Amino acid sequence: MATRKKSVELINANEELAFQNEEKEKRAAELVIANKELAFQNGEEEKRIAELVIANKELAFQNEEKNKRAAELIITNKELVFQKEEKKKRAVELINSNKEVDELEKRVKERTEDLESFSYSVSHDLRTPLRVINGYANMLEEDYSSVLDAEGKRFLAEVRSNAKKMGVLIDDLLTFSRLGRQGIKKSRVDLNKLIETVLSDINQSFTHKAEIKFSNLLPAVADYNLLHQVFTNLLSNAIKYSSKREKPLIEIKSERKNGELIYSVSDNGVGFDMHYVHKLFGVFQRLHSNEEFYGTGVGLSIVHRIIHKHDGKVWAEGKEGEGATFFFSLPDRNDIKH
Amino acid sequence: MENATVEILLIEDNMNDAELAIRAFRKGNINNSLIHLKNGADALEFLFGTGKFEGRDIKNKPKVILLDLKMPKVDGLEVLTKIKANEVTKAIPVVVLTSSNEHPDIERAYSLGANSYIVKPVEFDEFAKVVTDLGFYWLLKNQPPV
Repeated sequence: MATRKKSVELINANEELAFQNEEKEKRAAELVIANKELAFQNGEEEKRIAELVIANKELAFQNEEKNKRAAELIITNKELVFQKEEKKKRAVELINSNKEVDELEKRVKERTEDLESFSYSVSHDLRTPLRVINGYANMLEEDYSSVLDAEGKRFLAEVRSNAKKMGVLIDDLLTFSRLGRQGIKKSRVDLNKLIETVLSDINQSFTHKAEIKFSNLLPAVADYNLLHQVFTNLLSNAIKYSSKREKPLIEIKSERKNGELIYSVSDNGVGFDMHYVHKLFGVFQRLHSNEEFYGTGVGLSIVHRIIHKHDGKVWAEGKEGEGATFFFSLPDRNDIKH
Repeated sequence: MENATVEILLIEDNMNDAELAIRAFRKGNINNSLIHLKNGADALEFLFGTGKFEGRDIKNKPKVILLDLKMPKVDGLEVLTKIKANEVTKAIPVVVLTSSNEHPDIERAYSLGANSYIVKPVEFDEFAKVVTDLGFYWLLKNQPPV
């Protein structure tokens, strides 16, 4: 019995051992797995570390870049500050040179005003002795012509005619200098009516045979009296320089072009050489002698001055022996209601 | 002489201009009695019966005064101011004579009460015409209040 018991015990023990063995094997297998797992995790960590190292390097690099960039920005900033200062300096310089220009303009204006007031008072004071010369020559002619012979009368006539010319010249100069001082009063001007007035004034002061054509002229915004003066001068010229034609013809036209009103007076008179066109509008500039056509050389410079004051331009076209056309432009102010 | 009727009083310092003006009146058949005084001081003495003209009857007023603006010492504007400030003389028409119509004094003259002005033209014929026209106007058409 004892043996049997022993045997059972042994079997049991054996089974136990087998079980334990199995357990151990399981455990070993588990450990192998765990080990593999650990090995794997270890690998992962190493990878991660390597990645972190790379990321770190990257950050370090970026950091450096940022530092570099910051350094660059500081330089740029300094540059900007410098530029700003330069600009300030430049602005101050500009202000100063502007002041200089203003000062110069002021001086030019003063000098011009001085000259104008000088020419005004000279012309003004010249009238008095001239009036006396003319008046006494006239008295001499009226009271003593019976005792003067033909030559004496001719001398007297020369005195009178030259005193008269000088009077015209002085009046022209006065008009010219007045234009420098006088402001302009703009209103809407009916050019057709204005021309009629100018022509009636001209016809009253001298006789001529010119045919003068105009119709439907565009209205302008301008100083009436000054524009009257412009057309008086242009038309008197046109009549004068076409007076030797058999059929003098003068045409006044107007058109609207590029935001401007353009007026023209053309004649079929003696014309002029385009070579001298730049001299036409200068004071005392003449393209004809007084024997050919009498004039003071102030008329067109008055026209120029008036139109310039209206922010317009003057110009001329001509051909010797074939007539001339004088143009002037005025800003087209049809937006202004009157 | 001092109390003779004077219809035209010409106040002009330039003898030539005065001679021309007088001739212009005569030429225009304006033969009214005229006195020419050479400066503003004389003119004031004449009008107010003082100095050289002490005792002149100041009620004997000229029908028109022709007054040159540019005169030494007492100038035309001063004479005009005194004429227009005095009750007796302020109704006398005053025609101002000037060398050009650009004279800034013309405006002053009007504001001081001048009745008209003549620009002395260079041309004698023109001068004669304006003087005559104005003379006629003030002497004949325009009867000043008595």
